[in-house]
Amino acid sequence: MVTLTIDDKQVAVEKDTTIYDAAKKAGIHIPILCHDKKLKPFGACRMCLVEVEQMKGRLIPACTTPVTEGMIVRTSTPPVDKARKLVLELLLVHHPLDCPVCDKGGDCELQNLAYDYKVNSNRLTDEKFHHEIDYNNPLIERDQNRCILCGKCVRICDEIVSRGALTFINRGIKTKIGTEFDGPLSCEFCGSCISVCPVGALLARPFKFKSRFWAMTNKKSVCGYCGTGCSVTLGVKDNKVLTTIYDENQGFHNGQLCVRGRFGYQFISSDKRLKTPLIRKNGTLVETDWDEALATVAEKLKLSASKSAAIATPRMTNEELQLLKQLMLQHVGTKNIDHSAGYAHEAVTEGLAKSIGVAASTATIPDIQKSDMILVLKSDVYETHPVVGFEINMAVKNKNVSLHLISDKRGKLSRLPGANLLLCKPGSEVTLLNSMVNVIMEEKKAALDTIPPDFVTALSAFTPAKVATECGVTADEIRTLALSYAAADKAVILLTTGLAYPGADAQLAHAASNLAILCDKLGKEGSGIIALQEKNNSQGAIDVGFVPAQGGANCHNILDGCVDGSITSLFIAGENPIVSYPAGDRIKKSLEAVDFLVVADLFLTETAQLADVVLPVSSYAEKEGTFTATDRRIQKITPVIPPVGKSLPEFQLYSKLIKLLGGQPALTPADAFSTISAYSSISYSELGEGGVFVKSEFKPTLIVPKTSNVNIEKGKFSLLTGAALYHCGTMSLHGEGTVAVCSVGYVEISRSDAEALKIADGTDVKLTSSSGAITLKARVSPRMAAGVLFTPYHFAANSVNTIWSGSIVTGVTITK
Amino acid sequence: MTEAVAVTENNEMEVEADVDLSIAENVIQRYKDIPGNLMPVLQGIQDEYGYVPRIVVDYVAERLNVYPSQIYGVLTFYAQFHLKPRGKYIIRVCMGTACHVLGAERIKESFYDRIQIGHGETTGDRRFTFELVACLGACGMAPLAMVNDETYGKMTVQKVEEIVKEYSALPL
Repeated sequence: MVTLTIDDKQVAVEKDTTIYDAAKKAGIHIPILCHDKKLKPFGACRMCLVEVEQMKGRLIPACTTPVTEGMIVRTSTPPVDKARKLVLELLLVHHPLDCPVCDKGGDCELQNLAYDYKVNSNRLTDEKFHHEIDYNNPLIERDQNRCILCGKCVRICDEIVSRGALTFINRGIKTKIGTEFDGPLSCEFCGSCISVCPVGALLARPFKFKSRFWAMTNKKSVCGYCGTGCSVTLGVKDNKVLTTIYDENQGFHNGQLCVRGRFGYQFISSDKRLKTPLIRKNGTLVETDWDEALATVAEKLKLSASKSAAIATPRMTNEELQLLKQLMLQHVGTKNIDHSAGYAHEAVTEGLAKSIGVAASTATIPDIQKSDMILVLKSDVYETHPVVGFEINMAVKNKNVSLHLISDKRGKLSRLPGANLLLCKPGSEVTLLNSMVNVIMEEKKAALDTIPPDFVTALSAFTPAKVATECGVTADEIRTLALSYAAADKAVILLTTGLAYPGADAQLAHAASNLAILCDKLGKEGSGIIALQEKNNSQGAIDVGFVPAQGGANCHNILDGCVDGSITSLFIAGENPIVSYPAGDRIKKSLEAVDFLVVADLFLTETAQLADVVLPVSSYAEKEGTFTATDRRIQKITPVIPPVGKSLPEFQLYSKLIKLLGGQPALTPADAFSTISAYSSISYSELGEGGVFVKSEFKPTLIVPKTSNVNIEKGKFSLLTGAALYHCGTMSLHGEGTVAVCSVGYVEISRSDAEALKIADGTDVKLTSSSGAITLKARVSPRMAAGVLFTPYHFAANSVNTIWSGSIVTGVTITK
Repeated sequence: MTEAVAVTENNEMEVEADVDLSIAENVIQRYKDIPGNLMPVLQGIQDEYGYVPRIVVDYVAERLNVYPSQIYGVLTFYAQFHLKPRGKYIIRVCMGTACHVLGAERIKESFYDRIQIGHGETTGDRRFTFELVACLGACGMAPLAMVNDETYGKMTVQKVEEIVKEYSALPL
C-alpha cells in the first residue's frame, strides 16, 4: 500500500494506482474527459492536471501518474484551475457551440465542465472544422466537428470490442477520428464508442431528437436478450422506452453492452405490439376482451386436461414460469410442459446435471478474467453472448489469459493475440475432447486419484493419432492442448447452447465435464464450465423445472402429439417455433392440426397467426420478477413503464387462469419466488443491484460421452446453423436497431469455395437439403473452412428450418 | 489463414485490379516474426509498389492481424507514405526562404505550365509527380529543384524546360 495526501486528506491505495483513481477512492472528483474506468489511462485531454508538492514547477496529469509514497497532491488551486480553463478554451476554439440542437446537451461532459469553470468567453479564435458528418449507417452518427480527440472511442473499440473500426488519422491540426481510408463507419454497431463519447461527436441515431436528456427518467433493468444478464439503464419518457443509457458502474460488465442490448430496445414500445386479446371467429382472429379470451382458454385447457401441453419461452421471469407450471401441472392436470424445443437445454439439464450433479454452470462470467486459460468450444460465443466475448477479449489482452478454441469455424475470438484455434471438422468436437481426456489419462496428468477402469477403457480408443484425421486437426495439436489444459492452474471451459446449436448437447457437456473433473478444475475461482445459454432466463427455466414432469411429453413429443391426437390443447407462451424450431414445415403442420392453440406473445408472430386465442403479454420492461443469468445470477427487474395497451404481465395472466380453474395463485412475484425450491436459500428482498449467485454443490461423475456420426455425402457442403451477432432468438427482429443492420438471413461460404463456384459476395445462392431449398445471400468470409457453410437461424423469410431438421450438421448443395 | 485472396469489396479499386499481392507477401515474409513489424512492412511495400495500394492495406491487415484502420492511421501520420500511385520521376521544388527570395514561385509556375500538375499530383501516364517542399537544405544553390535523387541548383525557367524535356525522353 502507498500512502499519500490529496487535498489534505490521507489516502492509502495499492501500488500502481494513479493519482486520479486514488482521488476517486478518497471521494475527491478530478475533472476529466478522456477517462473511463474500463480503459487504460491515456492522458489526452489535460483536464486532470493537478499540483504535486514533490513535482513542483509543472502540472501533473492525474490519470497517467502513479502514486508514490508521501506524495502531496492538490487537485484544485488557482494555477490548476487556470490551466484547466485554458484547456477548455482551447477545446472550444474548434468545438461548435450548437448545444441547443445537440442530442448530447445536458449529458455532455464538455458542456458541464465549461459551465463549472465558467468559460463564458474565449480568448482564442479560429475557424471551426468543416468535416462531413457520417450518416452512412442507421445507428451511429459521427460528427467529427464536435470531436475533442479524447480517443475513448478508438480505445474502447480496440481494448474491449477488439474491432478496431476507429483510429486517429492524419496528424497535427488535421488529426481526426476516422476509419480505414476515411470511409463510412462499418463495424458491429455495438455503440460502445457512443457510450464513452464525452461530447456529441458520436450519437445514437435511433434516439436522435427523441428527447432532451433531462426530460427522461433513468430506470434500471436487466437486458431481455441473451443469458449474459447485463444490467441496462433505460431512458423513459411519456411511458416509452426511448434509449439505453450508459453507466460505467453498472453490473459485472461495467455498463458495456452489445448491439442488441444497446439498440434492440425498440420492440418494447413498438407500434406492432399486441394491445388486445384476439380470438378466432369464423376463421379469422378478431379483437376480444380479456374475460372472453381467458374463459375460453381455461375451458379448453380443462377439457383437454392431460391432453393439454405448454411450451414456454425462457424469456419469461422465474415467477411467471413457476405459475404457468403450477397452472398446467396442478390445475389443468397435465405433465406435458417444456421449453427451448426440448433439446436446447439438454447440455445443462442432461449433460451437466449428470456429470457435475447440478443442472447449471459451475463458473461465473467474472471467473473468465480471473482464469489462466480459457477453452472455448465453438467460437460462436462472441456472436451469441457478445458481452462475454468482451470479457474474453479483456482477459486475453489485459490479463494475459491464454485462449484456446475448438471450433468448426474461425471467428473474432480466433483473431485475438495468441489465440490457439483447433479448426475441427463440424461435429467432431466430442471426439476431440475425448481424445484430450485420453491424453491426460495416458500421460498421467489427471489430478483425480482413482479413475474408474471402464472409463479408461472406453476412452482408450481415442488416441490423438487415431482421431486426428476424423477431427481435421493434427495429433500434436490435440496433445499440446490437452497438456496445457492439465497444466493450467485455473481454466474455464465455455460452450454455447441454444436452438441453433444442436451440437451443444448432453454429450458435449459430458466431454467437457470429464476434462474439468479429471484435472480438478471445478468449483474454484477462475475455473469451471460455463454453458452460455441462449435466452435471458434459460437457466431460470431449468431451475424452475419447466421441463416435462415424470412421464410427461417433451417438446418434440408434444408437437408430434398435436398431429396424432394425443395433444388437443397447446399453450405456447412466447415461443415462435414455426421460425425458430428445426423442421419448420413439420411444426407448422402440428400447430395447424392441434384442436386448440393459444399463444401468449408480444407480437402477432407466425405462430400466433395460427392460434385460436392470442393473449397480449407485457415485455420485461413492464413487469416485476427475476431472471437467472447463465451463470446462475438471479437479478430482479421492476416495471419501468406500465403495460402497453391492454397487455398483461404474464404473472397476472397465469394468476387469473389459475383462479378460473379454481386454484390459488401466489399473490406477488415475491411469494411465487419463495416457492421455487432451487432458490430456497435466497430471499427475494435481498436481490439488490447486480443480483445474487445461487451456490451449487457438485457431485462430479465421469461419464463416457457418445460421439455423433456426422456423415455428409461426398460433394455436399456441411451446413452449420447458429446465431448472428445482431440477433437473439426471434425477438430481436422486432427491435428496429438490430434489424436496421441485419435484416435478412445469409450464408457464409469460404473464399476458396466461393472462387471455385464463382459465387460473388452478396449474390443469391440456393441451398438444397433433403428436406427443402431456400435462397440466401452469400457472404464470402475468411471465417469458414472449405466445404463448410454457416447460416444464422432467426429469420422468418427463407427460414433455415426449411432445410434443417435439427441435426448438428446438414448436408446441402449450393447452386447459383 | 492460408487463403491468400484479398478482400475485394470496394468498388473504387479498378485502378488496383492488377495489383500483385505476392509482392506484398514477399515483404511480409521478410519481417513476419518480428514484433512491431508494421512500419518496415509498410516501408517495404511502398518501396516495391511505389505507393501503398488499398488492396494491400487489407491484405497486410489480415496477414499481420492488425486492424486496417490502424494501418491507415499509420499511413496518414507519416508523410513518407503515399496512398496514390506516384510518378516515375518525382520533381521537388524547394519553397524555402532562400529559394523563395530567388524566385521559387516562378520555377513552380513554369513547371506547372509544362506538366500541368500541381502539388502532390501525378501525371496521367505516371511519369511525373510534382511536390513543393519546405527546404531541401542546400540554400547556397537556391533556387533549387530535385528530380528523384538528382539535384538541380540555380534553377531558371530555361532549366525547367530542359529538365522536363530530358525526363520526358526517358523510357517509362
